[in-house]
Amino acid sequence: MGLFDGLDISASGLTAERLRLDVIANNVANANTTRTPEGGPYRREVVGFAARPSSESFASQFNRALGSTSPALGGVEVTGVTQDTTNPLKRVYDPSNPDAVRNPASPDYGYVLMPNVDISTEMIDMISASRAYDANVTVLDASKSMTMKALQIGS
Amino acid sequence: MFDTRSLRAIEKALDASALRQRVYANDIANVDTPGYKRSHVDFEASLQNALGESEGDLVGFRTDPRHMQIGQPSTFADVQPTVVLDNSSSLTNNGNNVDIDAEMSEVAKNQMTYDALVKQMDMQFSMLKNVITGGQ
Repeated sequence: MGLFDGLDISASGLTAERLRLDVIANNVANANTTRTPEGGPYRREVVGFAARPSSESFASQFNRALGSTSPALGGVEVTGVTQDTTNPLKRVYDPSNPDAVRNPASPDYGYVLMPNVDISTEMIDMISASRAYDANVTVLDASKSMTMKALQIGS
Repeated sequence: MFDTRSLRAIEKALDASALRQRVYANDIANVDTPGYKRSHVDFEASLQNALGESEGDLVGFRTDPRHMQIGQPSTFADVQPTVVLDNSSSLTNNGNNVDIDAEMSEVAKNQMTYDALVKQMDMQFSMLKNVITGGQ
């Protein structure tokens, strides 16, 4: 347990929440994008979080593998940014859109596929990420002030 | 001179409080992680045991080191803060049981406890300094 481990843990939380906010911003900016380089409309992206094991000695990792219940304290890490495949794309009738279906024989004539981004969901996620960021900043301040107080013992 | 019981107790409490801060930082950093369960630090009960202040515990009286130990061992050097995983409940849909309000208030309490302990250690040292310099 080092002097600055608490700061590293809070910093990982700040990084993760900031990345989440960036992904939300990307979703909101692309809420009406019907054309992407991969083809098709923009698909909503989500971030995956996982608890990060701290880099520690072999003895403590071995003990954990043997089933001791004390958890690893390493903060959080982002496992990846994946596309949301569970929410379906929205199908909107708009013949004036340049990406609408042009084939009169197709049942989708005049329909265009829009991204599956729901603005209200993104707004709520944005608030959640922002509050989590604030909480991590407060904890980082508390850890820093505790360390500085410890350095003043006896002076 | 520096190995008094009170200084050792304060030192152990400071270690536990620093570990507690790390555990809370980890909990708050993982407030959005699916499936994450919060942890807490157990320390006060074992410290009280070691200081001999807990009442009503049945402790076996040993006259020989080969006697079996009944009740909690109360050697002071064995008192360690332990991190305990809290598997109990789940507050949200994604399996995460971190309550952000409870954690933030625990952080505030822990910070004040740490400051109080640091002040106590300061006072111990200044008492020693006073004695050494003869009150000058």
